[in-house]
Amino acid sequence: MAKLKLASYWAAACGGCDTAILDIHEKILDLAAAADIVFWPIALDFKYADVEAMPDGNIDVTLFHGAVRNSENEHLAKLLRAKSKVLVAFGTCAHIGGIPSLANLFNKQSIFKRVYHDSPSTVNSDGVEPQPKTKVPEGEITIPQFYDTVWPLDHIVDVDYYVPGCPPTPKQIWSVVTTIVSGQLPPKGSVVGASEKTQCDECPRQKHEKKITGFKRIATAQPEQETCYLEQGFLCLGPVTRGGCDTRCQLSGVACRGCYGPPPGVLDQGAKAISAIASVIDATDPAEIERIISEIPDPLRSFNRFGIGGSLLVRKAL
Amino acid sequence: MKRISIDPITRLEGHGKIEIFLADDGSVANCYFQVPELRGFEKFVEGMPMEEVPRVVSRICGV
Repeated sequence: MAKLKLASYWAAACGGCDTAILDIHEKILDLAAAADIVFWPIALDFKYADVEAMPDGNIDVTLFHGAVRNSENEHLAKLLRAKSKVLVAFGTCAHIGGIPSLANLFNKQSIFKRVYHDSPSTVNSDGVEPQPKTKVPEGEITIPQFYDTVWPLDHIVDVDYYVPGCPPTPKQIWSVVTTIVSGQLPPKGSVVGASEKTQCDECPRQKHEKKITGFKRIATAQPEQETCYLEQGFLCLGPVTRGGCDTRCQLSGVACRGCYGPPPGVLDQGAKAISAIASVIDATDPAEIERIISEIPDPLRSFNRFGIGGSLLVRKAL
Repeated sequence: MKRISIDPITRLEGHGKIEIFLADDGSVANCYFQVPELRGFEKFVEGMPMEEVPRVVSRICGV
């Protein structure tokens, strides 16, 4: 049997997904024995021109990390879709937008103003902003068009599978790799490398009946380390987040922020979070309910930390 | 003018490309390094509770 051809690409990403792949450690040798890696910018020196020269369907599996936030990301998403038999949205950004899609609460103009004009470390007396095309004495040089909106991969191209996590855990990555190598692929559209339960189902913290009378912040209060964060009034997205990460944040002393995305059957993680939190607020007096809700720190970004791009609303109105 | 494009720059974290322009004799006339990437962390962490910022900006670079 011919070796598999595998590609790994980052769009609007941090490189954490690529690093997580390398965190399978010596098993990378088993991966190299089973598959030829034909494109992987962080680790190997293949160029975009090499991918463009491939026949369509040449790559067996592409692991695509990162969101789509500019025209280069969109071009590579479409290019790798055409060149790949199987395209995997790998990691939270490709799955549901991830941290980069927090930018969907703003627009290009306000981001450029902050980044290129107003930030304290910027000196830009000529008011220069990046342009897609720049004339230079030798000719013209180009950079991608920056979009107003950050998109998950499946808003741009057809996606075969999803691997959640910011980043996916190496254990789950290895299970995905062995599934790919075995050829026993699940139904198209499946979320793989995760569980079918919620974080709460897998969290070892003790749980009792939740009755929340106020919200606390870890900056100003100390959580007790045996009991459910939410019961103690610390916002936790465990009830509305898919499991499979071994609850690594909760075991590290911080509440879940939702990077594994919505659990099975949930369409919008942020909306479900509002519903879940509302159901455990222990008050009936409207004024008291209002007081408790007002204590939720930064609700919009807390309920939608990793998934604004993949939410039903996608972004704040332009 | 002959042009060599190195796109993308590989084996590092982040996105970059290099455009090299060559003179007629083959020497380098000029060279441009470009970063075709911006996510805008400077903007979208504004107003965020301080204890949440480390968990967000750790995604600037995950390598």
